[in-house]
Amino acid sequence: MKKKWLSMLLALTLVPALIAGCGNSANGGNDVSNSAEKSKDADKPVEIRIMAYNAESSRATYLKMLDEKLPNIKIVFEFVALDNFNNVLNSQLQAGQGPDIIEVGGETRLLANAGFLMDLTNESFTSKYADAGLAPYSVNGKVYATPLQSWYEGIFYNKKIFKEQGIEVPKSFDQFIQIHKDLAAKGIKPQIMGAQSWEPMMKQSIGLVNNDFYSNPDNKDFDEKFNNGEAKLSEAWLPYVENWSRMITEGILTPDMLGLSYDQALDEFATGKAAMWESGPWAVGTIMEKSPDFELGMFPIPGSEEGPGWLVGGPGSAFAVNAKTQHKAEVLQILDLTATPEAQQALIKDNAGSSFLKGVEVDLGEIYADCEEAFKAGNVYAPWTAAWVSGNPVVEGYGKSLQEVVAGVKTIKQALEDADQVNQVMRDSLK
Amino acid sequence: MNTKRRDRVFLLMILPAFIGFLLLFIVPSLMSFGYSLTNWSVYKPNFNFVGLDNYASLFADTKNIAAIKHSITYALVITVLQNGFAILFAVLLNRKGIMANMVKSIFFLPAVLSILVVGFLFQYIMTSADYGLLNNIIQFFGGTPVNWLGNGKIALFSVLATQVWQWTGWSMVIYIANLKSIDGSLYEAAEIDGAGKLQTFRKVTLPLLYPAASFNILMSLIGGLKVFDVVFAMTKGGPGYATETIMTTLIREGFNSGRTAYASAFAVVFFVIVFALTQIITFFLNKWEERIV
Amino acid sequence: MIRTQKFKNVTFNCLYAIIGAVMLLPIYYLLVTTFKTPAEATARPLGLPTTWNFGNYIEAFTAMNYPRAFTNNLLITGIAVIILILISSMAAYVIARSNRLIFKWMFSIFMVGLIIPFQIAIIPLYKIIAGLHLMNTLPGVILIDVFCINLPLSIFLFRGFINTVPIELEEAAAIDGYGTFRTFLSIIFPLLKPIVSTVAILDALAIWNDFLTPLLFLQDPRKAVLLQEVYKNVGPFSTDWTSFFPMLVLSTLPLVIFFLIMQKSIIDGVVAGAVKG
Repeated sequence: MKKKWLSMLLALTLVPALIAGCGNSANGGNDVSNSAEKSKDADKPVEIRIMAYNAESSRATYLKMLDEKLPNIKIVFEFVALDNFNNVLNSQLQAGQGPDIIEVGGETRLLANAGFLMDLTNESFTSKYADAGLAPYSVNGKVYATPLQSWYEGIFYNKKIFKEQGIEVPKSFDQFIQIHKDLAAKGIKPQIMGAQSWEPMMKQSIGLVNNDFYSNPDNKDFDEKFNNGEAKLSEAWLPYVENWSRMITEGILTPDMLGLSYDQALDEFATGKAAMWESGPWAVGTIMEKSPDFELGMFPIPGSEEGPGWLVGGPGSAFAVNAKTQHKAEVLQILDLTATPEAQQALIKDNAGSSFLKGVEVDLGEIYADCEEAFKAGNVYAPWTAAWVSGNPVVEGYGKSLQEVVAGVKTIKQALEDADQVNQVMRDSLK
Repeated sequence: MNTKRRDRVFLLMILPAFIGFLLLFIVPSLMSFGYSLTNWSVYKPNFNFVGLDNYASLFADTKNIAAIKHSITYALVITVLQNGFAILFAVLLNRKGIMANMVKSIFFLPAVLSILVVGFLFQYIMTSADYGLLNNIIQFFGGTPVNWLGNGKIALFSVLATQVWQWTGWSMVIYIANLKSIDGSLYEAAEIDGAGKLQTFRKVTLPLLYPAASFNILMSLIGGLKVFDVVFAMTKGGPGYATETIMTTLIREGFNSGRTAYASAFAVVFFVIVFALTQIITFFLNKWEERIV
Repeated sequence: MIRTQKFKNVTFNCLYAIIGAVMLLPIYYLLVTTFKTPAEATARPLGLPTTWNFGNYIEAFTAMNYPRAFTNNLLITGIAVIILILISSMAAYVIARSNRLIFKWMFSIFMVGLIIPFQIAIIPLYKIIAGLHLMNTLPGVILIDVFCINLPLSIFLFRGFINTVPIELEEAAAIDGYGTFRTFLSIIFPLLKPIVSTVAILDALAIWNDFLTPLLFLQDPRKAVLLQEVYKNVGPFSTDWTSFFPMLVLSTLPLVIFFLIMQKSIIDGVVAGAVKG
């Protein structure tokens, strides 16, 4: 009888032993969860987890620099694509298991209000950034994240096609529509869009709203009112987005584009099948890889009246620190190093943009020559990352509804109302 | 005495599974149910009891209702198609020979692929770009191209078709095994009675496929209701909300926007739907079983 | 008569060839595309590549950290399957052989797991896994794969099979003085061989191809599994799809090879579980 009990016990203990055994062999002595043990051991570098929604390849130079300059730190770069990023991050934070450094965008204020982020206001490196770069990550005068390089989107165009067909870069929205028609008349697909994603239409329409609405000083406080539920997109934005919707009614953006993904649209543009495509600097590498001789240019989204036009963008993303990090000193060391011209250039090398660090000049190069005026005028804006509290869910609701506008089941007004509704729901959920 | 000792050993044998299941499945599920009665959000650490508010706002949102409808449609259609094709091909392929065996293997092969990989692959096959394989084939035969994933009216069914492709072979091998177990004398008897091929199939084969059918139907139904990976890989719920299912909506509306309590309420509703639907189907399956016994 | 039989065979074989070809088309497309340049892939989707370019595979192999990701997949799948077979066969044996109400209750509770998707419990689950200090570890993922995803079906299948094993064997064993556990281990378990292979195959497929659990519970890139490595290369920063397709192939290749070698027992295994269960 005793024997049976013994074997039973053995079987029971076998399970945890197996699990533990596997853990050791798999970790190869690099156990992350056991950080306390690690700091005891002075020779071993401290592991700092960075969770990010921009892939490792878009930060390669920067990460290599951190690795060289900070031998006491080992970066564990955890990439989670944007469509799952909040899902993963939120679940981890809620369970008290967040990373040390978080790449944040539109959710910064929400996370800061909930107490997940460390206050960086009085750190020495914070003051090295221009206010414009810090504003989106500030709540009540306190700074919760420091910006990485800016992002922006405009209209990429194939210079060769434009030259051959005698097409000029448009200065107004009417001209913009007209060149689409001219190109189409010559049998060339004017613009391609990966509209399977809800993002490009949302961004392109907001580009026109930037031009015609946000450029007007009277509307400066709109975003604040929108956050407080006192203003509605379906009222304030309606005329501008309806004007933009000529892109749909005039047959430029078509339902078949709803079946194209980002990669597939890029493919069509890079292989010369379409003359224009809306995107940002991160796509340049891939385009050039596909067609090394491509003559690439970008122009801003033009407004109803002739002018320099506007780009959609802003401080792209920023690094925030988990309030519960176990390695405060090391994390601040990283952010301090990031606030140097050298680190900023390293960031820009893999993902072109401008820097918010004071005194860092970035030469964007020939591709963006048509955007120069817009940059000089400071015409880069994206309300949902720069100012809105619940930016991402709101623009997602808006963008998905715009897809339905293209499919012919919704009107522009309904799309904007959907976005208003999401804003309301999110406001309610924070009460 | 003897049985007492036996029960003690029994208890020890079942406990590793039960404790783990209780701790890692039942307890968190019940906690989710508890959260669904609060207004907890990631962005708001303090929460309080709000009763059934989450449920009320959940059903007030037409997007959620649409997603529930999509999931149910998806589950029912895939159950019918997958099993229909599986039975058809099972009958066709239930023969000896190298060819038949090879085709059986080919049919089964997609089932070992990851759903995510199948989704990514078909996203390229069904694209509306000029090189889209499916449209190229259609145009080769003189048809007009179809916007498989971009047309809201058919996108859900395009996604569904990939899953029929992937899982029909799986169900088919189960049906074939079932066919093999049918007593040959029943067919002889039917032949003597002068029954035609179709009639034999309806009167003899189909009723006796009950064991395989009950298993396959329940599996594809439950799998269909839980569908997530393939939608995620192919359409992300778009265009618009055309392919949103319960799982994609739950993750988008709940987790991505930090509304934990709301997501939990959705999860509870999900459970009720799956439970109800499986009960209904089981009821009909039992009726079928009674009829053949 | 013989002639019509022959004619029938030919017709059937032709039919089989057509059906098989249609089924295989997507996989053929996947394979040929991996050898092409982007331009070639768009120009002639179905044609054979002009040059067989293995460079795409070498790139994908390094980009995916293939050996490391493969090892992680293998460890998770292997250990989870062993645990599942041990604990679910024991539990199912008790459920099948005892009339005690408590065990019947436990069975009903297990079966609830068949219909609830575990995703509903993700946030509390996070807390529990974190509390056990298993966040970002392979054992954490193994526990979830075992208890939250595959346990109920495994128990269900084992129970169905054990019900068909004649009880007389155990009565004989009892007369020979075998204890309950020894009876199970040395008499019953060897008889379960067909269903063990069923459960092992079903669980191995499900765990190997599971994407959501590692995505949520394994952020450390050194512990990433194959599908996570594929997923990393989707989206705005991906290079292009001709280098993406080889990743799709590489991530499923181990299972396809496994299937081609073991196909008879895999298909038999799937069938044994379903028809007897």
